[in-house]
Amino acid sequence: MSNDIKVGDTLPETIIGPFDAPSLARYAEVSGDANPLHLDDAVAAAIGLAAPPVHGMKLLAAFEPMLRAWRGDLVIASLAGKFVQPILRGDTVRLSGRVLRATEEEIFVRLTAYGAARAPGIIGEATLRPRAAA
Amino acid sequence: MPLEPPLALGPFRLRVDPARVAAYARETGGDGASVPLAYPAVWLAEPWLFSVVSDLCAELDVVPVHESQSFSYDLPLVAGESYDLRVTMSREETPPRLIMAATVATPGGESCARIETLLRLVPRAGFGSAS
Repeated sequence: MSNDIKVGDTLPETIIGPFDAPSLARYAEVSGDANPLHLDDAVAAAIGLAAPPVHGMKLLAAFEPMLRAWRGDLVIASLAGKFVQPILRGDTVRLSGRVLRATEEEIFVRLTAYGAARAPGIIGEATLRPRAAA
Repeated sequence: MPLEPPLALGPFRLRVDPARVAAYARETGGDGASVPLAYPAVWLAEPWLFSVVSDLCAELDVVPVHESQSFSYDLPLVAGESYDLRVTMSREETPPRLIMAATVATPGGESCARIETLLRLVPRAGFGSAS
């Protein structure tokens, strides 16, 4: 299955966003996460942010289409992420992935999401498996 | 270190609403052909469940900040099908955190997914009015 996937392989980078206020409002509505921090400039400014941060879950979920586009023949068994620092409304977001482990049974991918800041906004990971064994 | 015994909630019988799946996929870059891995997050945000978190945060005068999230699957969820959600909430003191650990299973008891949400509990003072 994964003979053609090697440790160190990188996934094609995916660019998403920038997300505007209506986009964050739509995500808040569909997800139920109506935290005003993501929707209200004044609330974001109160904690020193130049703009409301994009919902971390909206960004973490965006790794799934990237992983499926990379290897649609594999099943994503797990997806996880740490929300390290805010990625702000208006930022273009760069999603990337790198294979850290590759066996016949499992591929482990390190994921990162960058906004405008130099440090990553999300550090994540995903495990992919052959369809039959998942 | 846990502060008190975990709070176990559920099971709650919940349906994967196809229209909501499509909308969630649209807002997260998916094509809606399958239920997004992150979709169960919408269940954890349901007011009747998240009110437990909101009430605790109000009592402690803290704001929950989403620190990390994980989804681990045994079986994919299917739009239109119903599942049983069980949630365990526990609190840690150092650092102050609330952990929501959830399981999703078929009505027959077959495990589908495990979900963990870590919320950092930040003192409201110094966090503006965000909540």
